[in-house]
Amino acid sequence: MNYKNKNLEELGKKIDDLDNQNKEPSIKNKESGAGFGFKISTEIIAALVVGVGIGLIVDNYFNTKPIGLIIFFIFGALAGFLNVYRVMRRIEKQR
Amino acid sequence: MAAKDSPLKQFEIDPISNIELGGYNISFTNSSFAMLITVLVITLFLTLTVNTRSIIPSRMQLISELMYNFIAQLLSDTVGDNGKRYFPFVFSLFMFVLIGNMVGMVPYQFTFTSHIIVTFALAAVVFIGVTILGFINHGIKFFTFFYIPGVPFYMHPLLIPIEVISYLSRPISLSVRLFANMLAGHTLLKVFAGFVVSMPFFTGVFPLAFIVALTGLEILIAFLQAYVFAILTCLYINDAYHLH
Repeated sequence: MNYKNKNLEELGKKIDDLDNQNKEPSIKNKESGAGFGFKISTEIIAALVVGVGIGLIVDNYFNTKPIGLIIFFIFGALAGFLNVYRVMRRIEKQR
Repeated sequence: MAAKDSPLKQFEIDPISNIELGGYNISFTNSSFAMLITVLVITLFLTLTVNTRSIIPSRMQLISELMYNFIAQLLSDTVGDNGKRYFPFVFSLFMFVLIGNMVGMVPYQFTFTSHIIVTFALAAVVFIGVTILGFINHGIKFFTFFYIPGVPFYMHPLLIPIEVISYLSRPISLSVRLFANMLAGHTLLKVFAGFVVSMPFFTGVFPLAFIVALTGLEILIAFLQAYVFAILTCLYINDAYHLH
């Protein structure tokens, strides 16, 4: 096609025509399997890190050596699953 | 293996000029230099390309406008009308991470996003800002963000700590994702670059070809990670407006 037109109205028309031609969304979320796995694993690890951190702080503060760590490790693991669930739900919504 | 040949050598911080202030080491390092270049590239590129302000844009102007539209669209899709006022923040963040990753792709150039302290600082800014925003919008009611309605009352002692930990894990997952992707990618490039010289005769061509493909993938990841950083920031801003 010839685009050497300086007339703005005609150019606008051409742009509209082209827009109508490719209605398909240009940005598709194509992600590799490794990228997806990585995303999920960071969610779990991040929640576990926070859980273990809180557990160690609680133990240090109240002098309850293993109990705080155990409890908050479990909370952290559950929070990790919650994170993964949220990520999955967000991905499902995008489809 | 000698330390100077290590694939991790590229991540070492070298002070360019030693500055110490009040017992703190605030030297201007190669990391600071990379950040300075990034900011200069962003500023020069955006100002020079949009300078002409022509109605029919040139190619370079089109790139700037595409980036602007990309983030504006992202904000209006995820946050809605409230999102417009956060455009400068999200756009700066996106451009800083994106151009930072791209500057890191230049050979011999330092990649500052491969250091967790840099990405964690960015994520912490987002996290603290969004938390403050939540309190400004909802006041003390912001704490109901951790309270899930429609659950039996005896489940709440279990669910509230889980929700709080899930909330606190946001900056960590945000920063680790960007940092680990950049670290892994650049290390992999260096490891395969090592194979090129160590393999016998002409067989070094194969890892070389692989590096070329990998560089393309790295540029894709650089963009993807900046996009993920921006979209998650938008989602967190949205959460600060709409609890649940």
